Amino acid sequence: MSGVAAGLRVLDFTWYGVGPITTKYLADNGAEVVKIESMARPDGLRLASPWKDGVAGVNRSQLFANYNSSKKSITIDMSTEPGRKIARALVPHFDIVADSFTAGTMDEWGFGYEQLSADDPSLIQLSTCMQGQTGPHSRYPGFGNQMASISGFYYSGYSEKEIAPPQGPYTDFIAPKFACFALLCAIDHRRRTGEGQFIDLSQYEAALHFLAPAVTDYFATGTVLRPEGNRSRRYSPHGAYRCADEGAEERWIAIAVQNDAEWQSLLRILGSWPGPEELALHCDRLDRFVELDEYVQDRIGNLVALELVAALQSAGVAAYPVQNCLDLRGDENLHEFGFWPWLDQTECGPMPYDGMAYRFDRTPGVLSAAPNIGEHTEEILGEVLGLSSGEIANLVNEGTLF
Amino acid sequence: MEDPRTAPRGGPLASYRVLDLTDDRGAMCGKMFADAGADVVKIEHPNGCPTRRIPPFLDGIPGRDRGLYHLTYNAGKRSVTLDLERPEARRLFLRLVETSDFLVESFSVGYFDSLGLDYESLSRSNPRLIYLTITPFGDRGPAARYKSTDIISWASGGMMYLSGIPGRPPLQMSLPQAGLHAGAEAAVAGMLAHLERERSSEGQRVVIDTQACVVWTMLSESPYPLLHGDVLRRSGVKSGGQRVSRTLVYPCNDGHVMFLLTGGAYSHSAEQIVEWMEEEGAAPDWIKAVDFSTWSPEKFSTDLSDEFVRLVGECEDVVTDFFSRFSRQEIYRVALERGLMIAPVATVEDIAVDEQLAAREYFQTAWNEALDRELTYVGPFAKLSAAPLARVASAPQLGQDNEVVLGEELGLRSEELQYLYATSVI
Repeated sequence: MSGVAAGLRVLDFTWYGVGPITTKYLADNGAEVVKIESMARPDGLRLASPWKDGVAGVNRSQLFANYNSSKKSITIDMSTEPGRKIARALVPHFDIVADSFTAGTMDEWGFGYEQLSADDPSLIQLSTCMQGQTGPHSRYPGFGNQMASISGFYYSGYSEKEIAPPQGPYTDFIAPKFACFALLCAIDHRRRTGEGQFIDLSQYEAALHFLAPAVTDYFATGTVLRPEGNRSRRYSPHGAYRCADEGAEERWIAIAVQNDAEWQSLLRILGSWPGPEELALHCDRLDRFVELDEYVQDRIGNLVALELVAALQSAGVAAYPVQNCLDLRGDENLHEFGFWPWLDQTECGPMPYDGMAYRFDRTPGVLSAAPNIGEHTEEILGEVLGLSSGEIANLVNEGTLF
Repeated sequence: MEDPRTAPRGGPLASYRVLDLTDDRGAMCGKMFADAGADVVKIEHPNGCPTRRIPPFLDGIPGRDRGLYHLTYNAGKRSVTLDLERPEARRLFLRLVETSDFLVESFSVGYFDSLGLDYESLSRSNPRLIYLTITPFGDRGPAARYKSTDIISWASGGMMYLSGIPGRPPLQMSLPQAGLHAGAEAAVAGMLAHLERERSSEGQRVVIDTQACVVWTMLSESPYPLLHGDVLRRSGVKSGGQRVSRTLVYPCNDGHVMFLLTGGAYSHSAEQIVEWMEEEGAAPDWIKAVDFSTWSPEKFSTDLSDEFVRLVGECEDVVTDFFSRFSRQEIYRVALERGLMIAPVATVEDIAVDEQLAAREYFQTAWNEALDRELTYVGPFAKLSAAPLARVASAPQLGQDNEVVLGEELGLRSEELQYLYATSVI
């Protein structure tokens, strides 16, 4: 096995978004990440669209596949005593145990850190839930949409009266970076000291790092961050502007004019500013953002988005089309970065994946397909615990491995 | 009492040094290393890093130590000034590279190379160096040298198209943060490369693609055209994705709450809301008879019957009326008591007084010398039991560590430092 994380073994109880995206970083780089699922309680994303060929099925969810590339899956029914016994026997063979259940779940199963590390002080365990393992809201259940709302990202939109939250469970894509970084810190600490540890990652506390300036400002001055649409405090003009439609499809581009020279370049392309003053100075433009938005919109409404972006960029003005998902699939920059691999899944064939947003020049990671549910039960329990095919078949029949 | 500026800050990465040459396209990387206790040295132009000039400023007063972005994302770092366009500065920089474990830069693609500070050159000074390059569009595609800012990244990565109200412009995030995603991704990738370095003793170059980081903020929406033949669109306060559209953000009497009416395995919240309405005398008889257990999430993609669509709309109208009686915190209180998946659309004010964060002693304070004032910061992003993250420390003043880093560590004499300062090298 190659890859920067080769040799690491992760027993992965996580499901849905944050946990699986966290362990995916390790799996895609050669760690052996073994998901514990069961048919009674599969990773919930296995039941969510998009589906291969638009057809639902427990091994056909692209959403699941995308967050679980390069992993293995075994089925153990953790609600049964024999199931927990088997999972417990696996633990000493792994460096890391991870879960993303509501706080308390692992402890109730006898899988809390004190319980698991008693005879293995080098164990690293990550538990991530919405609001952390302790505190009055620790057991509040939910998903990333709620978390994005609680942690301030939904207070977004065109104005206070016209709220429009970011699409999706936004904080699910913030927390994994902090969770994986924390894990890697713990791995380094263990390498140097031999000591394991428990990581309590509150997705709330991690996500707030993306609103840190607003938090510090509020405590210092009482200023409350309010929705302001596409306005920038730094650049003007700044926003999304509608170009000529293509058939039924609206075409928007984003533009950000960063300084006076870029403003002059913009004027050369869009035609002169109609007002009596020049607005040659940045500070004047920041104040007049509403008029500037109108000016830009007025000049580009009939232009072709791609042509205008090319003209603006060659004049040194930051601009890009507001890309829809089809545009993304055709974006040459993402293709050049190797971002759109298709991987063969054993049950449903080629599946489109998102690639890595990073590239190691010397030791690149290599994605492999996500597992079917229970695909590796026999392999892992055979190799790690030495169970025979017959023993495994019996455990399947009695419902322990299901 | 120990001087907090020189006392060891602790943290799991305390034995590593990071050279931070980022602007807002990557400052989060060094911030995460600093939170983990690493010695993060910002290498700034003598005029100051661009992050110091990002508005808003504390009290609305501009100044290179007053920008909120600088105060928060440069917190815990040190500052050394070097004008890297000057050969004397580059010589000193190479000596710093020799003693560093990581370098992170987010200059326009090609700029750092043009100074002769490309990976190959730096790895000759330090073969163990992990060299993190943060780019807006990757380093190889046709837009690699395009100009970019935060909103450009949101547009290029597809998230913007899906955010906002139909008929209105697509929306960026509330605060600029595509660069935070890229910086955080760089921190993870840097530590991943470090895992391998401990085996091979070799560093390497790592490229981070901000556009791809933004794609990763979507709920795997990009394959819909390939798999379902759909191009998803922005849906404002409605939930996207399913064919039967539902309200996601409801007004209440002092703002908004987030709630998605659903059933099946998640019917608990809907059933409990009806029960709560009943207690308040606000539940019409017909809603008590609705069987939410049949409203599985899939039903919203498959059942397009007029009857179902109308019923969903009528239920949402009742919920809207009901929520309008309460404040967002009153609704959240009930949600917490009953385990309902309803959340306040929180403002930063709600967050500042949140009892959960208070119980976990989340927020931290640090004294800022330049401002002669204590500031409050977001707390540790994780609780590590054996090697806790470092306590927050203030952002550095411009060049405040020149004497320690260049003088004491590199051994420059006072005369040399004076000369470098007088000639604007530092």
